[in-house]
Amino acid sequence: MSPEDAAFLGLAGVAVATALLALLVRELVHTILWVSIFFVDLAGLYFLVEATFLGVLQLGVYAGAVTILLFFGVMVTRKRIFSREAATGIGPYPLALSLVAIALMTTVATALPGGDAPVRAYDPKLLSADLFGPHGAWLILLGLAMMSALAGSIYLVREGREE
Amino acid sequence: MTSLPPAGFLGLTATLLGIGLFGILTRRNFILLLISVEIAMNAAILNFVYFAAFGGTPGALSGQSIAVVLVGLAATEVAVGLAIVLALNRSRGSINVAEAADLRL
Repeated sequence: MSPEDAAFLGLAGVAVATALLALLVRELVHTILWVSIFFVDLAGLYFLVEATFLGVLQLGVYAGAVTILLFFGVMVTRKRIFSREAATGIGPYPLALSLVAIALMTTVATALPGGDAPVRAYDPKLLSADLFGPHGAWLILLGLAMMSALAGSIYLVREGREE
Repeated sequence: MTSLPPAGFLGLTATLLGIGLFGILTRRNFILLLISVEIAMNAAILNFVYFAAFGGTPGALSGQSIAVVLVGLAATEVAVGLAIVLALNRSRGSINVAEAADLRL
């Protein structure tokens, strides 16, 4: 087994374990800590496939901004941030549905040729040329979506809306 | 040059999507619901990056470009989601989605 394969197996194991732990622990603050480890681990996976720019973006946006936003959400909505969730049942149908989905998609994945395939590294300069060239319209759409999201959020949380 | 198993990557993203789906179906706390959506969305973004890394034509970067746009979109979605959390918490005093069944904030 090559060192890259071992790194992939380790990172993949940590990703699955932290995602499961984030959804199964009872303390909401612990959930956010686990999910932040999950985001950092995904950045590691991006670095592994040599998508450096996306790895840095993942660290900044997810491990940084989204985690802080989630913490704010918990701090604002609870009197004591270390208060436990009421236990939520796991329920046979959601579990079965998720397992069937995983099994189906994994079966499709194993239809791919086994063994290793080379990874193509990308130059961040090429990525920016591509983003602002042929995909420029996507970026403008993203900006518009972000602006309307900002306006919508302010509308939702502004004082005295329901009176 | 690095070589990695593509089938393993797809298995990983399928598992992450399944975990996110499970969370969306079972959790009742709005913040946990948002986190589940994030896990599922991250699995989709990973898929875009992997297909860009393993396949496609040389010089075509569409997978990574779409991933950059998706990361921004996911962050936007969390911001709006938390605004909804705050509005729900103010109008009902709880962020349990089971209590917010009548589309009124």
